[in-house]
Parts: sequence; C-alpha cells; structure tokens
Amino acid sequence: MLSGIDYFIVIAYIVGMLLLGLYFKKFVNSSEDYFLGGKSLPFWAIGMSIVVSDIGALDFVGVSGQAYRYGISVGNFDWVGSVPAMLLAAFIFIPYFWRGGMYTIPEYLGRRYNQKVRTIASVTWIMFFALDLGVLFWASAVLLNVLMGWPIWISIISTAGVVGLYTYFGGITAVIMTDVVQFVIMFIGGFALVFLSLYEVGGWDSMVDKIATMGPEYRNHFDIIQPQDTKSPFPWTGILFGLTFVMANAYMIGNQSIVQRCLTAKNEWHAKASMIFGSALKMFIPILVLFPGLMAVVVHPGLADGDQALPLMIKSILPPGLVGLMFAAFFAGLMSSVDSLLNSTATLFTKDIYEPFIKKGASDKHYLKVGQITTLVLLIIGVATSPISSDFPGIYVAIQTFMSYFQGPIFSILLLGIFWKRTTEWGGLSALVIGIGFAIYLNVFKEQFFTIEDPFLYISWWSFLLGAIINVVVSLLTKKHSEEELQGLVFSSKILVKNKKL
Amino acid sequence: METNEINAGIKAAQINNALGFFIMAFGVIVLFAMIFTETFVEHMTDMVAGLLLIAIGGGMIWKAKSNLKKYRKSKES
Repeated sequence: MLSGIDYFIVIAYIVGMLLLGLYFKKFVNSSEDYFLGGKSLPFWAIGMSIVVSDIGALDFVGVSGQAYRYGISVGNFDWVGSVPAMLLAAFIFIPYFWRGGMYTIPEYLGRRYNQKVRTIASVTWIMFFALDLGVLFWASAVLLNVLMGWPIWISIISTAGVVGLYTYFGGITAVIMTDVVQFVIMFIGGFALVFLSLYEVGGWDSMVDKIATMGPEYRNHFDIIQPQDTKSPFPWTGILFGLTFVMANAYMIGNQSIVQRCLTAKNEWHAKASMIFGSALKMFIPILVLFPGLMAVVVHPGLADGDQALPLMIKSILPPGLVGLMFAAFFAGLMSSVDSLLNSTATLFTKDIYEPFIKKGASDKHYLKVGQITTLVLLIIGVATSPISSDFPGIYVAIQTFMSYFQGPIFSILLLGIFWKRTTEWGGLSALVIGIGFAIYLNVFKEQFFTIEDPFLYISWWSFLLGAIINVVVSLLTKKHSEEELQGLVFSSKILVKNKKL
Repeated sequence: METNEINAGIKAAQINNALGFFIMAFGVIVLFAMIFTETFVEHMTDMVAGLLLIAIGGGMIWKAKSNLKKYRKSKES
C-alpha cells in the first residue's frame, strides 16, 4: 500500500484526468472533431501520444521484467522494432492516408481492394480491441486494489467511469491530450528512477561487474543481439524477420489506434512530423524501462517473477511524492490504453460498419452520436467481460499473440497495395483470409514447427510471407484495376514532394 | 490571418493552458512532498522533478496566454 502523500497524488491524478478530459468536451461539435480532433492537433502532442499509447503500463512492467530475465536484447522492440517503421510510416504511408481524407486503415484497404477486405480487416480489429478492453479493465482494477486497497468491483467501475466519461465527451482530443500529461510525468519519474537506481548500484560499470559475477544465466545480459539458439524469445532471426520486417511495420502502419492519431494533425507536415518526433522519443524508452529492470538484478536478485522488478524498484528507490507520481503514471498508462481502444473501436464501427451497412447518408450529428453510443456500449462490454480475465491468467498473452497473427497478413496487403499496381481485389482478399488461417494453423501446431516456447515473431513473419505470395499469385491470375481506380492509392514519387496532388 | 487559422490557434492555446495548469499543479505537489523525504539525495530528486514539472507547466501556460492575446487581437482587427 502507498503512503499518505503518494495516495493523495494517485487520487489527485485520477480526478485531474477526469476534469481535464471533460474540459475537451467543448471542442467536439462534429464527427470529425470526435474521431479526428477536428484535424487541428500539433505534431508534438501526437508524437508523445503515439509513444505512451505504445508503451502502456502493462508493457512498462513487462519490458522491465524481460530485461531482468533476458537483459538488454528486449530493447530491440523500441529501437529496430520501432524507429525504422515509424520513419517509413511518416514518409510513405501517412501521406496517402492523409491526402485520401481517411478515418481508418480498413477504409484504405476498401478503396484499394474491395469492401469485403475492408469489412474483414475492420471486424478483426474490432474483435481484438473489444476483447482487450476487459483485460485492461481487470489489470487497472488489480493495480488500484493493490495500491489503494479498493475492492475490485469499485476499482473497475471507477476506472470505467473516469475513462468512459472523458472519452465519451472529449473524443480523440481528450485521448491525445491526457497522453501528453502522462508522457511528461512518465519521463520525469522514469529518469529520476534511472538516476537513483544508478546511484544505488554504484554506477554503470559497477552494475555490469556485479551482474557478470552472478552466474552463467546472466552471461548474455548485455548482448543486444542474441544467437539463434537462445532460450530467450528474442533470437536475432526472429528480431530481424518477425519484428523489424513485419510486426514493427504492421504496428506502426497498420494499427488503427496509432495511425488515427496522425490523422488528427493540423496539416500533412504535422502528420508526418508527429511520427518522426515520436520515433526520436521512442529511442529513450529503453533507457526508462529497461535500465531499472537490469539494475533490479543487483538490487533485488533472485526474484521468481521478473515482472515484480519495476514495482519493487519504484517502491525501494524513489522518494515519497515520486512514488505516487510513477504509480499514477502507471495507472494513466492503463487509462491511455483503454481510451485509445474505446475511441478507435468506435471509429472503426461507425465508419466501416455502421455507415456503409446500417445507415448510409445520415447527418454528421447522427454519426457523432453513433460514435459516442458505441463508446458507451464498449465500456459496458469491457466492464462485463473483465472478470473473465481473472479466470484465465494467460488471456492477456493470448490476446497479444492473436494480434501478432493477423498483423502479418494485414501488413502484406497494405504493403503490396501501395507498392504494386498489379495487386487485385481477389489477391488482397485471398491473402488476408489465407494468411490469417495459416497463422492460426502455425500457432495450433507450433511445437511441430518451432523450438522456442513463444514463436510469435516467426509466426508473424511466415504468415506475412505467405500472404504476400498468395497476393502476387492470385493477382496475376485475376483482372487488374484500371489507372483511374488506383488514382491516389498506389506509390508515386510525388508523395515525397510537399503537398503535390497525387 | 484567416478566421479558421485564428480559431485553430485559440483552440490550441486553450488546450495548452489547461495542460500546463495540470502539469504545474503536479509539480507543486511533488515539491511539497520534499518534506516527507529522509535523505539528501531524495530531497534533491523531489526538488528537481518538482521544479522541472513547474517549469514545463509554467512555460506552457505563458506561451498559451501570449498566443491567446495574439489571436484575440487578430480576431478583433
């Protein structure tokens, strides 16, 4: 449990977030305001928001835990696993989504391929986000239960109440701006933790020497590249092919909750700059989350569960005030993940399902209302399904693994859709369906194909590759699109030039 | 300056003002938490973190106020 001042800080943070989020209600007058922030937000706010929504509280704890167990190789996820993909997104993909005036990634897929591809991609994302909501509500409740001593149900309802209210009223502007506050607090608290941890272990060299003498299992702790036969889930082959080539690009280019943020920018320059600024900030994340995990090896050796490393370091190293601030930032990280899911799912449902299939041509106010009601319905689903997560401890891992399976095929059709004019609607559809099916097959029979315990990096690579091959073969056998149909949807060198019409 | 540009500028300034106030308030709380620290290093860490938050929040408020003044002046003229 927290001390008095830290308890006060966490409560003040939650109430402050609610008030701040509600303040943004006055900026929401249309569906564009709700889903795209009225296309008026600056690059720095979006960049910070991309970084914190990517590194939520569960990842913060998880990455530190993996640094404790496997060493610095986990830093690959934020360096080669993010920065190149963000730069590719900034210069190639974001301009297409921006100039096309799109709200969702499936909307691009629908224009490039056909409505079926759009619907399948959108439904897959909606299912994933809806499932993830319950898990995040449960994780928030457990955190509040441990820190504040509140009963689980009170914790779930208060989290849902706070996040639900500001997302319902403030839309994506509230989501992004509350992320900015979280970013500032997380960075200041994080650097304080790194500084004090280094002081505690006697400096970097002293820490390296101490860890080196702790036994053979720590031999590779400072190798960023791990051999192919490593016991960790990060062999270099998986990092290169699965993470750098597929998952990182799929996440930064094909994930609705990331790309939607860039589309809120006030102009194309800000949209691109947000990704570039985000990639620069991303390079600091391993310092904040990985180093405390490494230093915990010296300060708290022999932990059975590596995920305890960061909470223990915060409690034992940080002074009163900053402990509360860091835990508030943790909680805000969870709130940030929940609000992103709520707003992105509402956007996907309203734009890709409701508008084309349920009510075409309604007024803008009507779609704004649908987005808000969808947010409420999702909130109720999330609260109702959250106890299921407690019955299945592996559900979080399962959901994250599920994401890695459909990201490969979706990225393959996005990539070929932009870079190869010959890709056809049947090529895209078959690649998506067969690619997802193949990923599921590989997962079910993973013991027969892979030697490592959790081969999600390899599965995403192979499902991406098969998706690309299927797309090429089927496209060559089917009727190609006309030049007019592809206008503004496929790569042209004009995209690299400022504000040229495609 | 166009009306749309002015309105967008006013919106951005109002948002920055609110964010700045929130961040500065937390800086003050962290600074206040210094009285609960025991060692010199803890004392200094709270002080630096608190002052940094106050500086960031204060800077945002100052910038937002000056922008609001500028945009309101342009709106009137």
